[in-house]
Amino acid sequence: MDTVNELIRKAVSRRRFLAGAGTAAAVAFLDGCDNSSKTTTGNGGSTNPPPSDIPDNDVLNFALNLEYLEAEFYLYATTGQGLSASDAGSGAGTTKVPAGIAPVPWASSGLAQYANEIAQDEVNHVRFLQKAISGNKGTPVPRPDIDLTFFAPLAVAAGITSTPAFNPFTSPQAFLIGAFVFEDVGVTAYHGAAPLLTNTTILGAAAGILGVEAYHAAAIRSLLVSTAAAANDQTYVNIANKVSALRGMLGGGNETTLSSKTIVAADTTNAIAFSRTTDQVLHIVYGAGGGAGLSKGGFFPGGLNGTIKATAS
Amino acid sequence: MANQETRRLDDIISNRRAMMALGGAALAGLALSGVSHAQATITDTDVLNFALNLEYLEAQFYSLAAFGVTIDKQPTPIPIAVNGGTAGTVTVKPGFTKVPFSNSLIADYAAETAIEEGRHVTFLQGALGKSAVSMPNIDLYNSFNTLANVAGIGPAFDPFDKDADFLIGAYIFEDVGVTAYHGAAGSLTSKDNLGAAAGILAVEAYHAGLIRTTINQIDAGSGALASLTQKISATRSKLANPSGTPVDDVGLTSAGVSLNGSATSAMATTFVDADANSVAFSRTPNQILQIVTGGSANHQGVFFPNGLNGTIK
Repeated sequence: MDTVNELIRKAVSRRRFLAGAGTAAAVAFLDGCDNSSKTTTGNGGSTNPPPSDIPDNDVLNFALNLEYLEAEFYLYATTGQGLSASDAGSGAGTTKVPAGIAPVPWASSGLAQYANEIAQDEVNHVRFLQKAISGNKGTPVPRPDIDLTFFAPLAVAAGITSTPAFNPFTSPQAFLIGAFVFEDVGVTAYHGAAPLLTNTTILGAAAGILGVEAYHAAAIRSLLVSTAAAANDQTYVNIANKVSALRGMLGGGNETTLSSKTIVAADTTNAIAFSRTTDQVLHIVYGAGGGAGLSKGGFFPGGLNGTIKATAS
Repeated sequence: MANQETRRLDDIISNRRAMMALGGAALAGLALSGVSHAQATITDTDVLNFALNLEYLEAQFYSLAAFGVTIDKQPTPIPIAVNGGTAGTVTVKPGFTKVPFSNSLIADYAAETAIEEGRHVTFLQGALGKSAVSMPNIDLYNSFNTLANVAGIGPAFDPFDKDADFLIGAYIFEDVGVTAYHGAAGSLTSKDNLGAAAGILAVEAYHAGLIRTTINQIDAGSGALASLTQKISATRSKLANPSGTPVDDVGLTSAGVSLNGSATSAMATTFVDADANSVAFSRTPNQILQIVTGGSANHQGVFFPNGLNGTIK
């Protein structure tokens, strides 16, 4: 049960990075006795909401960036096009896609229907988060620049190919690998971000989105396994596990090697799903390790939009 | 000054509590179910013991299905009588044997799920320590027959008969687990408990996604199993919401989606059990009790013929 404390430590660490608050404040926060200026300047009888470490809307906008990425991937896979202009938001960035992008040539309508379901869910999450942020008196960030050609160098980094040629839109199996890149990450990201939220309604929604991301992850993982079994060919399961290893290297471990006996990604002692800090998630989607100060790259060539953008660790 | 200090302390406490209060929508629901958070009558122990009862049920079902024995008879036994309590019994059909799986993948899935639900039991017992309740009486025989009648599936149903029946039996439980953790988490005050609950919620959603995907895969072209899931989902929704609204359960079917357009343009498999925003459903403990006891007024019946152990019963 060290994960939650670790989360808070990371959150404090990031707050220091974002707001330049002192170490004393961070320590005080961990002790449950926040001495930061936010509280000491409070006006006594105020009925304002209690001070928040990271504003809920910052966390929601962080999640919104990830949903933009997922929605773009699944929409291009299913329709050959990305989010509508209205869904992408005013001032949206551009999405770079492989040359000759077209819907995945599905071998059967069955797999296409899974992709359609996930695509619609991710579009719904984009719309839901935009509304939640607006409803919470915030401004939803527009879609940042997204690079869906990053799968190719990612595949090289993972040791899947020797040249940057991997394209997840070219076959159903490649699509499953592309989806695999994202789905377990979504679970760990929402698990890590949810405790940072203070508004109980928003928290409830985040928990519900966490659940949906886990449904998706289970479908992708089990489809990889059952497809491999049917073809008596573990090639794509092995590729998925190379992706998993790379994610683990960038994102602080938190991975379960995929097999028919390990569909669920969770710790092996308590069967509790993994959790990642925003820093760990940023390292994965930016496709680079290292420590603090990473603010763009990989799937987000211009970085995320919003305040949670640069790694603090 | 003292007042200011007190108010500040209240702010801090409420902030920290709120930060950990995953599943905010559940708070309202808890009030409706008569175990109001505002009355401070519900403790983390109450909630975790409620969850432990449900995990006993799931763990026994999967352990019997995969291994043919109850969890206390596994090679590494999981205790069912704790803290000096007396364990209930598990009722199974005469001449019970484990599921004679013909598909090795489904056998693997059953074993993995059995192991993970067992870990949830062990984890919750450990988290509860001296407060953990023993296993109540559990019925895995008459219960399924009763539910089959209520759902209009037929006069009897044996989830241990073959692969497909096992999957349908698992279907009955898994989405319920997701909604139960989603609904219960909001009343947890300990950050450790809350982080754990969110992580278990995700694992239950992985299980649910796996079961729903697998049912859909083996049902391809038939629709017979999908029809059963629709009946089960409708029954769960009706038990949780006796008035008929809202409908908080979606069975497996093909539904039209509009993706990035404005009109229905594709068909999607509803392998995710979620609302119109693609947020997983949440249920109050009372709604969960209604489901697992078949709508019994005193919450004794179906899977828990003598009710649950603990205070939420």
